[in-house]
Amino acid sequence: MAIFNLKKREIECKVVYYGPGRCGKTTNLEYVFKSYKKQVTGEMVSINTEGDRTLFFDFLPIGLGKIKGCDIRVQLYTVPGQVKYSSTRKLVLRGVDGIVFVADSLEVRREKNMISLKDLQSNLKEYGKSIFKVPLIMQYNKRDLADEGIPLMSIEQMDRDLNRQLKVPSFPGSAVKGTGVGVTLKTCLMETLKSLQREFKWAK
Amino acid sequence: MNESVALSGSLGFLSLGDIIQLLGSSGSTGVLRLINRYAPDPGFIYFIEGNPINAQNGDVEGIDALYSLFGWVNGSFEFTREAILADKRINKSRMGIILEGMKLLDDGQVKKIGPANAAEKAADMKRLLSKSAIVKGPLVDYMYVVDEEDFFDGEHIVEEGKHGSWIWVILEGVVDIVKEVDSGTIPIIRIGDGSFIGSMASFLLQGHIRAATAVAVGNVQLGVLDSQRLAQEYAGMSLEFRTFLTSLDKRMKQLTDRIVEYHDGNVQTAEILKDKKAIIRQGNNEERQLYVLKQGRASVVRHTENGPVVLCHLYKGDFFGDVPFLHLGLEPEGASIFGSENIKIAKIEAVSLQKEYNRLSTTFKNIVDNMATCMSVTADIVCSSLASKKEVTADKNGRQET
Repeated sequence: MAIFNLKKREIECKVVYYGPGRCGKTTNLEYVFKSYKKQVTGEMVSINTEGDRTLFFDFLPIGLGKIKGCDIRVQLYTVPGQVKYSSTRKLVLRGVDGIVFVADSLEVRREKNMISLKDLQSNLKEYGKSIFKVPLIMQYNKRDLADEGIPLMSIEQMDRDLNRQLKVPSFPGSAVKGTGVGVTLKTCLMETLKSLQREFKWAK
Repeated sequence: MNESVALSGSLGFLSLGDIIQLLGSSGSTGVLRLINRYAPDPGFIYFIEGNPINAQNGDVEGIDALYSLFGWVNGSFEFTREAILADKRINKSRMGIILEGMKLLDDGQVKKIGPANAAEKAADMKRLLSKSAIVKGPLVDYMYVVDEEDFFDGEHIVEEGKHGSWIWVILEGVVDIVKEVDSGTIPIIRIGDGSFIGSMASFLLQGHIRAATAVAVGNVQLGVLDSQRLAQEYAGMSLEFRTFLTSLDKRMKQLTDRIVEYHDGNVQTAEILKDKKAIIRQGNNEERQLYVLKQGRASVVRHTENGPVVLCHLYKGDFFGDVPFLHLGLEPEGASIFGSENIKIAKIEAVSLQKEYNRLSTTFKNIVDNMATCMSVTADIVCSSLASKKEVTADKNGRQET
């Protein structure tokens, strides 16, 4: 649920990057932070969690317009994957408005992706949300590694593995190089706003 | 309620992380006060325009104090709007603090303080008791206070074995509850503002015999409670609820006695647990159900590093299991239930008890809550007194060898 800040006339919504450890969630957000510097308000918060880093910053999307005269502010988060970080995960996932699921294209990580997606589903369920209803975007990350001869799964296979039932928009990406990062975020924001509008019946 | 309080509630419902976000998005300036019955002092966080600038938890100040407060998963909070004069000691961004605080909590670097993990805390309880483990109660409801009495340092407020049916609430000061035995005085628990002296049994039975001695530590001001009014309220409750309260009271008394027994070292745990089977396992949080014992006997046992510790015995008519509205710190989180072979139990609908609990007057509710807190703390003390006993015997053995 987005937060309406009447004092500042802002609508705050929350987008969370989810995915298995080392899949590139943090790299995605770091790229966004670097290349859209003007739209970032405040500093980037980075917390070292075991095997991962948890990031957070505020983002002002441009060109998405206003809703009912309110500006839109997006909080971007990554979520720590380890089981033990349940309080952190709970805080981050509570009231989430949109999710980017970053999947690892490496063949060896195939199972990890699926486990993480299942995990996301059960986590969302705990907060009374369905993975089929929450705005969700897939990013098949690390496509650039194909050039180095590392075995990757094909896009089709990943779609079959992860997106067969969900049927959500998916994009190939390379967070290190920045490919696909922008389009993933933009689509996710659009989906999120669409869903918010549906939720409040603003759109006719 | 104080008029300047802008927001108050329970930490169990709204966690510190959520509160900070809320205060942040509303850009509030003021003081957030956290109260935890398991901590000796309240915690304070100072906000200017939604950003925490300083915090205080006991002797600790600044960011470390703020992080430590994330461990207060239980308790209450109060936010008052006021001008802040405190120095700016915290410069980290709001969200950074929240995420770091949550992470430290998950990593176990910040300790959770509350009843559910009472068993883990048992180890350092001993040290705390000598220093500052004081069980405090909620704010005193003066409606029920009919008179005030002052006691000076060292004075006995009640004496074990004497008759008496007054119940006091501590308005100000600290009181030690002790048991007198042949070998001397055994400290049981230290209680402070808002706690009650005198058990519920005081108005259940005429001419109640005091179970322990209460000694004033420093000067103490007590409020005498209107026991007639309390007794009337008690009389108006359902039989089930009254049995429930009596059962709790019996437990409390047993726990107190247990400290003495363990102190003397004459408890045969193995003997007691012989021929008994587990009904509720410690830490099994899945089944949340309240039972009443219809036949046979049962024991409440906590598993500690030093082996099982028998906390109390249950007989016909006693309750056990999960009480949804009280934190006893015992089963199912902090203890197991073992039943004798011929045991018969029946399930109890906790909902009706809960409704009745919610209808209690503030003072009565405070008494019940305070008893639950004392019970949880006393159980810890029982366990730690056993642990220290073992250490002592180990020491003695070591000395004999040399």
